[in-house]
Amino acid sequence: MTISSSAFTFVRELVRAESAIVLEPGKEYLVESRLVPLARAAGHPDVDAYVAQLSTRRSPAALKQVVEALTTNETSWFRDTDPYTTLRETIFPELARNRPRKQLRVWAAACSSGQEPYSIVMTAMDTPALAGWRVDVTATDLSEEMLERGRRGEYSQLEVNRGLPATTLVRHFERQGLNWRINQSIRERVEFRHLNLTRPFPPMGQFDVVFLRNVLIYFDMPTKREVLQRVRQVLAPDGHLFLGAAEMTMGVDDAWERVPAGRSSVYRIREEQRTCVPW
Amino acid sequence: MRALVVDDSRAMRRIVTRILEDAGFEVLEAGDGQEALDVLAAQETPPELACVDWNMPVMDGLTFINHVRKQPQWRATTLMMVTTESEQSQIVRALAAGAHEYLIKPFTGEAMLEKLDLLGLLPTPVGDQT
Amino acid sequence: MTNGTAPDNALVLAAIEQVWGSMLFASADPWPADRPAEFGSGVQAQIELRGDWNGRLVLTCDRDVAAQIAGAMLGCGPEEVLPDLDVHDAVGEVLNVVGGSVKGALDGVSALGLPGVAPCTAPPAQGECMVVSWRDAPVYVQVVPDAAA
Repeated sequence: MTISSSAFTFVRELVRAESAIVLEPGKEYLVESRLVPLARAAGHPDVDAYVAQLSTRRSPAALKQVVEALTTNETSWFRDTDPYTTLRETIFPELARNRPRKQLRVWAAACSSGQEPYSIVMTAMDTPALAGWRVDVTATDLSEEMLERGRRGEYSQLEVNRGLPATTLVRHFERQGLNWRINQSIRERVEFRHLNLTRPFPPMGQFDVVFLRNVLIYFDMPTKREVLQRVRQVLAPDGHLFLGAAEMTMGVDDAWERVPAGRSSVYRIREEQRTCVPW
Repeated sequence: MRALVVDDSRAMRRIVTRILEDAGFEVLEAGDGQEALDVLAAQETPPELACVDWNMPVMDGLTFINHVRKQPQWRATTLMMVTTESEQSQIVRALAAGAHEYLIKPFTGEAMLEKLDLLGLLPTPVGDQT
Repeated sequence: MTNGTAPDNALVLAAIEQVWGSMLFASADPWPADRPAEFGSGVQAQIELRGDWNGRLVLTCDRDVAAQIAGAMLGCGPEEVLPDLDVHDAVGEVLNVVGGSVKGALDGVSALGLPGVAPCTAPPAQGECMVVSWRDAPVYVQVVPDAAA
């Protein structure tokens, strides 16, 4: 089952109009996989039938659902596992050797409902070299609704099933009715604030690590480049950038170099580019 | 790789079996803990994974896990509870008894694959589909 | 014998929504009291809760609706006809998962029984149950405390 090109075009134009996010050709499977649950819920046999109905009826609520399904980030804990292993085993210990003040600042740049920044805090707590350190995470997103959810730190049973080891669940969460809430000691390490990556950044200070995972894929090339250039200006000269597995800086902003780290890779600013430009 | 699915609901066995088969497992099934012990005993080499419901007739999943963890020849089998029991205290009990992971019903196929990834039981890790 | 506080309707409905959404790919909306519904032969599933509160959850629906629920859960095509055994089993498991979610949200430690499913002839009387939608049909859900001894 694959989505028809007319259905894909309709969805692409809808998403572009509502969010400035571009779904390139080749993203058909993404559209399909994200819309299958909506199509089934609406009683349609497949995505094409669902999109056909959307395009004739144009119900604003249904259209909004589609845009959200395609622009909302995945909400797994420790998404893809590897970046967090790398953080714990390689990046955090290395930074720990170079920060005499025993403080680290991390930016989760598209934090959605908070799983990513909280996963970073829990990873820091599991890093022996950071025992006694202060690790602060700034979590930003475009959606106020997502930021509010992140601040609350309460997740459904379905959400805590997603990639969260059971030992971590019982250690760091408390059951609240049908939901689970992440403990205060972790919540207070994350500051949630609104930020649009496509605009100039507000003053944020300097970060040691930036998570910008599975965000760039949604932007067109000039926007990708601008975002990466702006990230360079808030990253410490010896800081590290994490991108999604399918993303890269090569050919977009070549001031970055890819460095193997653990089982994956991270990005650093090239030595000769490390003169911080004030902005 | 092989997996044993232990659940008294045929429907739930079918759902879990399909997810595991799609992930490349060969699947054995049992309807309660006792039957699952019998299935295990009949294997020349134990399966890599057992997905175990908690509330079942004849022998419940927690008792089954206690039995399995006492047998050195079954030590290589990774045990994951897949159950609607969802209190913090119950999860702690299952982990203390020797369960390696715990998936709360209701769950989605993706959630199960991510648990298998945590356990190192996926041939290809759950990567970015995007 | 005294009985603790029964699970409130909002909790049960929230658990149902979660199960409908994740296992059955449908939304559970309130069923308007004046909306007519067919009920031929039916299926009734029950599951016991034992703890601070003692009683059972009961789920009742039309036989065809039960078959659709089972089909959605198992990802059957429209032409696949499931035997009663499988339909009953699937509906029982749906209630089992709802029951477990509800139990986990209650105060204190409770135990969940095994689901039992049997045919039935009529839906519960209005006012004695919550009614939620399954696609275009109603599903009746009751929270029944044990009779005081």
